[in-house]
Amino acid sequence: MVLTGRERDERMEPIVIVENLMKSYKKRKTKEVIHAVKDVSFTVNRGEILGLLGPNGAGKTTTIKMICGLLTPDSGLITINGLNNQKKRLASLRQISAVLEGNRNLYWRLTVRENLEYFAGNRGESRKDIAERVDDLLQKFHLKGKENELVNRLSRGMQQKLAIAVAMLADSEVILLDEPTLGLDVETGYEVRELLREIVKTYNRTIIISTHDMDVVQDLCERTVIINKGQIVTDDKVANLLRLFDVRSYKVTLGGLLSDRQQELLEQKFPSYGYSPDTFQSILEVDLEQSEEIYELFDILKIETTPVESIDRKTINFEQIFMKIVKGDMSDVLVQSS
Amino acid sequence: MYWFNLLKANTKKEYLELKRYLPNTLALVLTFYIIFLGMFFGIQIIGDPTTQDINIQFAIVNYIFWFLAMMVINNIGWQITNEAMRGTLEQLCMSPMGLWKIMLSRLIASTVINFILIIALLYLSMFTSGQWLNVDVLAIKPIFVLTIISMFGLGFIIAGISIILKQVQAFLQILQFILAGLTFVPLSVAPMLAFFPFVKGVDLVRDVMIDGVTLSQIAAVDFMILAFNAVFYFIGGLLFFFFCERVAMNKGLLAHY
Repeated sequence: MVLTGRERDERMEPIVIVENLMKSYKKRKTKEVIHAVKDVSFTVNRGEILGLLGPNGAGKTTTIKMICGLLTPDSGLITINGLNNQKKRLASLRQISAVLEGNRNLYWRLTVRENLEYFAGNRGESRKDIAERVDDLLQKFHLKGKENELVNRLSRGMQQKLAIAVAMLADSEVILLDEPTLGLDVETGYEVRELLREIVKTYNRTIIISTHDMDVVQDLCERTVIINKGQIVTDDKVANLLRLFDVRSYKVTLGGLLSDRQQELLEQKFPSYGYSPDTFQSILEVDLEQSEEIYELFDILKIETTPVESIDRKTINFEQIFMKIVKGDMSDVLVQSS
Repeated sequence: MYWFNLLKANTKKEYLELKRYLPNTLALVLTFYIIFLGMFFGIQIIGDPTTQDINIQFAIVNYIFWFLAMMVINNIGWQITNEAMRGTLEQLCMSPMGLWKIMLSRLIASTVINFILIIALLYLSMFTSGQWLNVDVLAIKPIFVLTIISMFGLGFIIAGISIILKQVQAFLQILQFILAGLTFVPLSVAPMLAFFPFVKGVDLVRDVMIDGVTLSQIAAVDFMILAFNAVFYFIGGLLFFFFCERVAMNKGLLAHY
């Protein structure tokens, strides 16, 4: 897809602005104050798919609830398409729709079409006005033919697709999806991902995805915001993060053991190196700060002319990156990158 | 137009759910009828024969209003509890129409649908007992509308409590008996109850249906009390609901999620 200059500018325009968000709770029994969200700020650009990630209890759900207008922040500001979601809550809710609990967001004793019509009616739209859009969505989401089926008779994948279709029908600029592929088989998960990609492409919607499925993030999201202990630890493009972590990790397979001298030098030069000794085939794992350091690694190996069987650049997936970020292993790297 | 579409959507949903949960609906109607039969035969067997007719008429009107009060007031509490359990409550809370408008349209929708049921039950009760009440639509209509408005106010209070507490089943069970007390106790016994929601209305409907009072015979002060109750409870209930909604939003209780 080739974007014109204006389209590119529009895409860069932030549609969701979260500024200095704070929220704390008091534990009922101990009265202990829990700071669920501490000074969280980020933006989401128009037409972007943003991954909002974090381990359980990181403050992700609290942030989502505040963006959706379901929870009032202690302080801070959320603007959705130019509307302050606290001062103009109802108007801002026209700009956002969400699937927060997947198939549980539907009425199981109503049919597919009835669900679509009911939720549209709840936003004040008439059946007549949405008829065309309903048909279009049924077609797009492969639910045509199932429209008169009760939701409780649908497969989980279809229910999930319907929940997303309901959010789409709202015609809002921003769609927030919490765990859109949770509990889906590989094929349906793939289908949902393709659908989301198409939503962004065809309808130019902005999507915020909160998920624990890192494949979804790697596959779909352009950018990711990672929250841990109530604070943002990373806000960067997925491709940047992959590149950043990818170039520095090498796995060297050796045809023998390293000498004490070599290990000493490795300790000095690459303190975080990993070594699995084996008489016939040892494995050496090294993280390099600069790619030129590979020559220094070769120098160390050359001292004893240790046979090198192979050198592999370790392919790191997003799940590993996420774990490293959340554990705080790579804070130095992230500081450098920012 | 937004309002009308909202009301239409919720009326259709109420109707569809009543239809889809047909055994439930039938059980409800049957239970109502069986309890009525119990009361009817109870009055006939152990009641004073000289006041038997009037007692049966009294029982029919009170029982019908109790059923209506339960359907309107209790039902909204059950609905919120169910929506929270199903996981659909947060979708309602995210409607740009505002949760209170959805709740109001639900109250109106369930009143309209249950009203049809109640009319059928009223005639079934009259047919069974052989006691034909004076159904003066002209007189009953304004009383009924004002009474229902105060019931809506009480419905908003229950909805507000349900949003915060969610698990209000036990409270709703108790509320049934409070509502029974309010509908069954005549104003002549406790005149101050006139300022309680819907008590004055039930009393006036009793006057029309049992004693044959006409619209012109009803004192202006009675209508003023009715109107005052309607405005007071509706606005009070709505304000209480807004307060509960704000508390829920601060504490993160607005959704099961």
